[in-house]
Order: sequence, then structure tokens, then C-alpha cells
Amino acid sequence: MGIPLDYNLRNLRVRWRSTLATVVGIALVVAVFIFVRALAHGMESTYVNTGDERNLIVLRKGSTAESSSQLSREEARRIKYLDGIVRDEHGEPLASAEIIVLILLERTGERGTANVLVRGIGPATLALRPQIRITEGRMLRPGLHECIVSRRIAERFAHCRVGQSFQSGKTTWHVVGIFDARQTAYESEIWVDADEVRSVFRRDFYGSVLLRPVNAIAAESLKQRMLADRLLNIKVQSETEYYREQTQSAGFFQFLAWFLAIIMTIGAAFAAMNTMYAAVGGRTREIGTLRVLGFRRRQIYASFLLESVMLSLLGGALGCMLSLLCNFVSTGTLSQTTFAEVAFQFQVTPRMMGAGMLFALVMGVLGGLLPARLAARKPVLDALRAV
Amino acid sequence: MTIPGFIVRNALRNKRRLILTVLSVALSLFLFTTLQTALHLMTHPPTTEEAALRIATRHRVSLANVLPAKYQFRIERMPGVRYCSKFTYFGGIYKDQSQSNFAQFAVDADRIFRIFSEMVVSPREEEEFRKEKTACIVGAKLLERFGWKVGDKITFQGTIWGCDPELTIRGTYRGQGIDETLVFFHHDYFDELMGDRGLVGAFWIKAGSAEVVPGLIERIDAAFRNTDAETKTETERAFQLEFVSMLGNVKLFIGSISTVIVFTMLLVTASTMSMAIRERSREMAILKAIGFNASEIAGLILAESFGQAMTGGLLGCLGAKLLFAHLDIYKLSGGNIPMFPVTADVVALGLLVALGLGVASSIVPARSTIKATVVEGLMELD
Repeated sequence: MGIPLDYNLRNLRVRWRSTLATVVGIALVVAVFIFVRALAHGMESTYVNTGDERNLIVLRKGSTAESSSQLSREEARRIKYLDGIVRDEHGEPLASAEIIVLILLERTGERGTANVLVRGIGPATLALRPQIRITEGRMLRPGLHECIVSRRIAERFAHCRVGQSFQSGKTTWHVVGIFDARQTAYESEIWVDADEVRSVFRRDFYGSVLLRPVNAIAAESLKQRMLADRLLNIKVQSETEYYREQTQSAGFFQFLAWFLAIIMTIGAAFAAMNTMYAAVGGRTREIGTLRVLGFRRRQIYASFLLESVMLSLLGGALGCMLSLLCNFVSTGTLSQTTFAEVAFQFQVTPRMMGAGMLFALVMGVLGGLLPARLAARKPVLDALRAV
Repeated sequence: MTIPGFIVRNALRNKRRLILTVLSVALSLFLFTTLQTALHLMTHPPTTEEAALRIATRHRVSLANVLPAKYQFRIERMPGVRYCSKFTYFGGIYKDQSQSNFAQFAVDADRIFRIFSEMVVSPREEEEFRKEKTACIVGAKLLERFGWKVGDKITFQGTIWGCDPELTIRGTYRGQGIDETLVFFHHDYFDELMGDRGLVGAFWIKAGSAEVVPGLIERIDAAFRNTDAETKTETERAFQLEFVSMLGNVKLFIGSISTVIVFTMLLVTASTMSMAIRERSREMAILKAIGFNASEIAGLILAESFGQAMTGGLLGCLGAKLLFAHLDIYKLSGGNIPMFPVTADVVALGLLVALGLGVASSIVPARSTIKATVVEGLMELD
């Protein structure tokens, strides 16, 4: 029979001051780790969620992002009317030639300006992106300089509520609707009519064509035909693949998370070790008594190690709970590819919490090994004589 | 035994605990210094005295809109302007995308190094660069990173612009505290490839003196008001800070992570200090009994706690400074971080945190020791 767990629990309670300090310390380390991972994950999943695997996106050959791609009007038209694209009830292809421009907008509360992506859209845009819903106001009408903005943009930028208007490119844009983009990259965009954008910002080209092939086989044949067409200087990929390539900016945060976690884990393990050494030192006589009662060195070793692990898991659990709070936070940062602000939401996943608990476990084991060995090796008589 | 000797002996009596505490403070301050340096780099773009003379003119709508190249003639004729160069961000891919995390710019070859005079190019190399239309000058660090040599040919695949310039490296630039990872090539060559569209990303201008800068900014923007391409002109500092502001809450994150680290450290050191003093409550009582007063006792505890935190602080801050000075951060980060200098300011801030830590963690044990009566202290068993 091992030493009862209750013994360790009571000990943790009696030494509540150092227990509390260590538990909170470990909790903070775990929370920071999860927080930074959640940030990176939030950024990544914003992009990953955006693509629809049924869609193909066409850019100019060599382009890496819609914002820097250029397709001529002839190219856009040629692509739209290829065979193998879904047609709607009026016989129009489910394909949308779009264009992205960057504009500088004022943030709410006079906190400076930031670049925002404006997407010029066509009639098929919404049908290609069924996840998008207009939650307030109505869809824009072409020709009237109307726009719809994402919910996040409406919150983060001045003059972007329904009924308000803002100035850009010597034109006044009227906000007529707000859309909910379900945490996709479109959360950071303003949508206007493509032809209006092209005339106001003087672009005689489009940026990309998004289209929906009839099925996977049609998609493959469409790709082949487009690439073989000498009148088209393009590259074509699935929309999911395109957005996966856009996620690189999260790499820094992934790196930061691991860098922080590893160094802080070592630091916290030292702290746990201190607490455990003090626990062993203060209980020398008890250890002697346990040995006299017939408990083995092995059992004492296990008991102290277990106590350290309990300490750290308590901290880990507290850290996970703390980190859940950040699930409600959304924020924005600069995208490396578009130079515009991307909005995203922190996302804590069970896996991250698992990794956090693993770190806590490592802290507990590292912190407990040496003190437990010290406790197990104490000679019985010396231990009993200790004051 | 002297008082300092007494403090040192006390601090050293549990060497294991001392080492563990010092190491955990050192690690935390190492992290703190690293994060603060990163924050400093993000929020304080490198700047020199020359920077006060430089202004950038670009399209009012955003950086991604282009300006007519002919604006250059009007800007150059304005009083106070010494040099004006076209400056177009090329954003090309070298070999493959994962390696292409450095910027290339099409510029006026005869002016660019007059405007950015902190970029030092040898006169011979600059002459060769100017003479040859397809020549380029690259940053010294970039040259080293890819193992290029002067005379090598490099090709960039355009992502924004539909052309692929083929360039010959004719020299390098170096400079103190500046980004040595850029590529500059002839705007003329770029125009030729693009079919002479007469468009420019931006203009960089060097003013004759700092006093004329505000007036010049006004004048340039006024000159192009109500044209198809209105301009936005600002100082180099303002231009850079706009990028900083777009980093959004990253600053806040790093700031709050630093705070959490400091707080965690405080918990650790305060708890060890309390442990150390609790174990000594009998001795403390004896000290009081033989006539040490409250402030002297508090002083003893403070000195011990302070010494412990400062040792950790020095180890962590100076360790970070030495480590980052000897690591080739540019290579290690795969070209993402051109430089990572730990400044004296950041080290000083770290040491200040350590100092605060030492003081704060002595408060609880000192108070409880002073409050306890001699008899209580003597009765304490462990």
C-alpha cells in the first residue's frame, strides 16, 4: 500500500502560502503559453476558414495575393464563360471577377488610421460565399457608391455604421449594410461594386476571378484548359489552398509561444523545486516516522513526486481556466501580404489546453524529482532526531 | 562578524535555494529583456539625424496606389528640396517564396544614396551601379546570407508588377544600426520592363534643412490637391509610425506578457524569501532580544532579498545582452529579423525591475518578523 494521497493534500493545505505562490506561478506560465497559441491559432483559422473547397481562384501568374494580382478585362471575361462552371437560373456563370484596393481609414475614437481592404464585388459574390449573411441594412446597389462593411470593420473604424458615409478616392461611400463573415478573412473587408472601384481608383484591370466548377472532375479539366490557354497568363488554385498560403504571419506567434513556454517552464520548475525542497526540509521528522511505520524508500519517493505533480497540475488547471477568458477577445494586426489590418478572434482549443497541462506536468516532475530523491534517501535515525 | 558578512552568510546558508531562486529570476529577466527588445524594435524604427531631413510622398488613398512619375519634376523645383528619388516597392520573389522575406526597391540610381546617406557604398561601386542600367546594390547582410558575390546575376519574379528584372550585383551598402537587407535597382530599368507607364510607388525627398520640412510637406500636398492622384506627404518618422500603429495590439500583447512574467517572478521570489525568513524566526527573535530594532531587522531582510534579486537580474539582463550580441540573429531567424540589439535602456529597465522585485519581496517577511514578539519567535519550532 502506498502513502495515502490525503497526506499530500493536507500538506499542501498546511503550507498554503508557498502552495498558493507556486500554483499561481505555474498557472500564469500555462496561461501565457495558451494565450499566445490561441492568438496564432485565431489568425490561422481566420484564413483557413475562409476558403471554400468547391471554389477555384484565378490570379495572374506569379502573384501571391489577390491584392497584388492583375487580370485584364478580356482575361476575366474569357475565364467567366468557360465550360464547366455552375450556371444560375438565368444562365449566368457562378463566377465573380473581383478587385482589391487598399484605403486608409480612420479608426474609432481618434486612435489613428489603418489600411483597410476594399473588395470590388460582382453579382455572383454572395452566391460563391454562402457563409456570409447581411445582418443589418441591405445589400449594396451598383452605381450609387454604396458599400457594405463587415461587423468588425463597423466596430473598429469611424463612420462605418449603417447610414453613415466616409470619403475615399474623392468619392463619398454610403454604408448601407453590415455583414457577418463568420470569422473569416472577410471580417476585415469593405465591399463595393467592382466597376465603381475600378473607375474611382482608376484600375483598368481586375485582381482575381473566383468561380465554382460543376464538380471536382470539371474543376480539374477547367484548370488544365486555363493553363493551356495561351491568351491567359494566369495561375489557378483551389480557394482553400490559396488561403492556406496566406497564413504565414502566424508563424512568428507560434515561435513566440514555444520560446516563452520552454524558458518559463524551466524557470517555473526551479520555483516548484524550491517549494518542494522546503516541503521536504520541513517534514524531515515525518519522513523518519513514515519509514519507522514501514513505508519503503520507493513509496516516499513516489509520494513526494506525486505531491509536486499535484501542485503543478493544480496550477495547470488554473492556468487553463484563466486562458479561457481570452476566448472572448478579438483583435487585429497587420497582415504581411496585404499590408492591411486583419481582424481575428482568439481561439483556445482542447489541444492547446492539453499542451499546457503537459507543460505543467513537466514542471511538476522536474521540480519534484530531486527533492523526492532527497526525502527518500534520508537515513531513518537522523530523520527522527531532526528538530 | 560585520553586518555585511552576516547578511552574506545568511544568504548562503541554503545554497541550493539561493541558486534556484537566482536562476529562476535570471531566466525570467532574460525573457523580459528579450521581449522588451522586440517591443522596442517594433515601436522605435531605427532613426538617425539624417532622418529628420527626409520626407516621403505617396498616394493619398494608400501605399498600394501609384503616382504619376512626372510629379518628380514639380517636386524637384520646389525651394528647400535637395534630392528627390522615385521609390517603388517591387516585392519580388527570389527563387522561392519562403526565402523572399526581403524588400527590393526601384530607385533613381544617382540620388538614392544621397538621400539615404547612412547607407554607405564605396565610391567605385556606386559609380559602377550608376553606369549600368541592370545593376543593383544589395545590403551587406543579404549578400552574406545568400552567399552572393559582386558580379553575380540575380533574378526576381514580380508578384505585384508583371515583370521579372534580371540584375547584376555591383556592390553592397553597410551602415550603423540600419537595415542591411534591402536591394536597390534602377527605376529606369523597371520602367523599361513595364513599358514606360510613367508610374511610381512613392517619392523620397531630402530637404536642405530641418526647418523647411513642415513647409515643404504642406507645399507638396497643396501642389497636387484636386488632381487625379492626390498625395500624402509626411516625415520619415510619421511614415514609419504608421506601420507601427498597424501592428495593432501586438504591442499590448508583448507588454502584458512582460507584466505577467514580472508578476510570476515576484510570486516566486517573495515566497522563497518568506520561506527563508520563516525558518529563521528563532534567530530573528534572538536578534531582537539582543537589541536590534525594527528598522535594522527590516534592513537585514531587505539586503538579502535585494542581493538575491539583483544577482538574478544582472545574470539575466547581461546574459541576454551578451547572448544576442554574439548570435547571428539574421541567419538564425531565416532572414525575418535583420538585427536584434539589446539596448542599454532595456538592460536598465530590466535591472530596475529586479530592484523593485528585491524590495517588494522583502515586504511580507519583514512585516511578519517585526510584528512577532520575541517570545512568539523563540517558541517557534521550525
